[in-house]
Amino acid sequence: MNVSTIQDFTGYAPTWCPGCGDWGIGIAIKSALVQLGLSPSEVGVVFGIGCSGNMNDFLNAYAIHGLHGRAIPTAIGYKLANHKMPVIVVAGDGDCYGEGGNHFLHACRGNHDITVIVHDNRVYGLTTGQVAPTAMKGAVSKSTPYGLIETPLDPLALALTQGASFIAQSFAGDAPHMISTIKSAINHKGFSLVNILQPCVTFNKINGYQYYRERVYTLTDNKKDDKNQAMKIIQDIGKEKYPIGIIYQNQKAAYHEQLQQLLNNPLVKHERYLDFELLEKDFI
Amino acid sequence: MNCTWKIGGEAGFGIMTTGVLMAKIASRLGYSVFDYVEYPSLIRGGHNAYELTISDEKANSLKEKIDILICLNEETWKVNYAHLQSNAVVVFDSEQFTPQETKAYQMINLPMGKILTELKGQVVMKNTIALGASCALLGVNHQDIDKLITEQFEKKGKDVVEYNQLFAKKGFDYVMDNYNGLIQSVLTENKNQKQLLMTGNEAFSFGAVVGDCRFYAAYPMTPSSSVLTVLADWQQKTQMVVRHSEDEIAVVSSALGASFAGVRSAVGTSGGGFALMVESISFSGISEIPIVVFVSQRPGPATGMPTWTEQGDLLFAVNAGHGEFPKIVLAPGDIEEMIALTAKAFNLADIYQLPVIVLSDMYLSESHTTIKQSVLDNIKNQYKINRGKTIDRVDGDKYLRYQITDDGISPRLIPGLKEHYFQSNSYEHLQDGHTTEDGDERIAQVKKRAAKINTYFKNDFSAPSVYGNLENAKTVLVGWGSVKGILLETQKQIPDCAVIHFNHIYPLDKEKVIKLFNQDKRYILVENNSTGQFGKLLQMEIGVEIKEKILRYDGRPLTVREIVEKL
Repeated sequence: MNVSTIQDFTGYAPTWCPGCGDWGIGIAIKSALVQLGLSPSEVGVVFGIGCSGNMNDFLNAYAIHGLHGRAIPTAIGYKLANHKMPVIVVAGDGDCYGEGGNHFLHACRGNHDITVIVHDNRVYGLTTGQVAPTAMKGAVSKSTPYGLIETPLDPLALALTQGASFIAQSFAGDAPHMISTIKSAINHKGFSLVNILQPCVTFNKINGYQYYRERVYTLTDNKKDDKNQAMKIIQDIGKEKYPIGIIYQNQKAAYHEQLQQLLNNPLVKHERYLDFELLEKDFI
Repeated sequence: MNCTWKIGGEAGFGIMTTGVLMAKIASRLGYSVFDYVEYPSLIRGGHNAYELTISDEKANSLKEKIDILICLNEETWKVNYAHLQSNAVVVFDSEQFTPQETKAYQMINLPMGKILTELKGQVVMKNTIALGASCALLGVNHQDIDKLITEQFEKKGKDVVEYNQLFAKKGFDYVMDNYNGLIQSVLTENKNQKQLLMTGNEAFSFGAVVGDCRFYAAYPMTPSSSVLTVLADWQQKTQMVVRHSEDEIAVVSSALGASFAGVRSAVGTSGGGFALMVESISFSGISEIPIVVFVSQRPGPATGMPTWTEQGDLLFAVNAGHGEFPKIVLAPGDIEEMIALTAKAFNLADIYQLPVIVLSDMYLSESHTTIKQSVLDNIKNQYKINRGKTIDRVDGDKYLRYQITDDGISPRLIPGLKEHYFQSNSYEHLQDGHTTEDGDERIAQVKKRAAKINTYFKNDFSAPSVYGNLENAKTVLVGWGSVKGILLETQKQIPDCAVIHFNHIYPLDKEKVIKLFNQDKRYILVENNSTGQFGKLLQMEIGVEIKEKILRYDGRPLTVREIVEKL
């Protein structure tokens, strides 16, 4: 058996700022894929647009670098056409929770078997520092010079209430934790969210490494299939305490597992349908 | 023989179902039919009407005058009596109303209300009584009605079948017993010609299956919605994945994801939904992911007039998407062309790796017409899947997704091949798919994509169809898409008239098109919109200006008479 290496997954040299949390996430994703025994030709990745999405050039896979906000529905189509392929979304908070917020809700309720890895840095980096949907109330940025009026969007609570079957959080400053969480997410059958708290060293001067190191705590003995407990854990975030680990997980059929036409071969391997006469009966 | 039958009544009481049953009866006997529905954007209340032209020859459009009018309410009479043939038969129920000034017509007082009361029937059964009466008037054999009712309603159970048969028989017998002298016996002959009865949307759905479409996503929007419901109904037979997604952006994004993975994918919508998809059309253009987009037009702007017809989105479709990239726009003229061109659209999308838009409108999408089984078989048999440069293995070490080629088309690898990988990129990219901002690489990719147009002109563009003798014609009617049938009917009434009909709308190959227009003729552009959009396109692409225009934009289809009058 050929064992793939980090090098196999490594594409062009990253262009992220020195010290950016994306470096750690990039290495964690590659490590998780290697540890799962996958090669670049066995993985589908759909990238959003943003600093996170720029990983498209740095990570080798059968990949789509699509449109801002549309990575999730693109990944859903990809998965339905080839459900034997693990499909991962790499995108930012603005992409998944802002521009593509509607898709996020519906992907949760569909329990589509994709893994969504969100780089949550609470800021728009690639457009040079405007607030993201997860920014804290009062955040001062180029687009909110007098402070952000809205309260932050709560992706974990949204995912939990909309039917996602795997909800986790991790921290870009903790590589081993990210690797094990991403592996669990990819192994999970159904919609999995890994929200990664990611310092943006250039544009977010508040939520940096130091800020998170002082405030993250690792979940160890939470009952993962207990929705009420998960909701309690998530509520800590409002108090600026950040749980990392698998917050919620349950086993239920993924979307594609409930389609009679996808019980066996992937759609892309189907034979062409030729019994036109059967359909013609409707018109006689 | 050419007979127009119309039924009208309050919305929500099964008018359309009854109309289609009538059309099926005629279709099964081998007659050609064409129908048109008028209905408001409401579920209950308002006025519904269904009009059906039955003909010995190919029925291309509605006949101007009504021969048989079934009034389930007074409004049907008020709206339609001005359009009656002089000896027309009018069916009404005096319990409801009695038409005035009726000397010119043959009146049938059909006691639908009384029959309902006697048999304790539901109001919707008035339709079935009217259907039975209509069949008697047209000379249809009673067994043919029973057989059709059995087949149409057997899924709903034996009781429903018998119930419907009972009411149809009542209507049938009433005419036989009381109005024997009015029986026209026009549908007596069984032409023994196997036919199918389809709408344009059903034809698109069928064409998509023929074209091996495996993924269809949509968000319901009139008048395109029935494609979604037909394909969803078929999915366990065809094994197509059919998705009703949360919005049109998800629809088109998921289809592009599926297409990237290697399956033929399509989406369907109307103008407003298409507007939401447009960024993704542009993405398809640069990433070179094939997609077929069905757009059934209705009058806009914005919500417009949802249940009426217009050809108002032509230039929008042609120009859809920011940036410069090739796309192909097709506009079938009838259901035969719809099936053939839809199947072709999937080949074109694969061969040229770009978005292919199939334009319809409410008139084509929702009207039923007959297609001969032999014609359909011919379309199916002639169709060959052509996936162009789609590959599942790679010669050599390095696969380049966006390899520079003379014809503009790069080999497209189906994801999953061992030892390889690539990305499809919405950013401008190098040949290997990686993002670039280099000027020379940019120019090379722009040129590569643009080169597809000439390859398309060479291999797959079809010049417009010319009907009649163009050389001797004095008058030339020019149209595109769904006006085809109306132009062909008009042509019969105008001496020395030819018709030029386009269904390969964009891009237009100047060389093949211009010779049809540089002759000394009276060219008249006929379009179902207010600005003559196709005329503008011709001017832009071919450099030809058609000065005379007949345009209609009140939400109704053009009619032969108005064209003849305006000439």
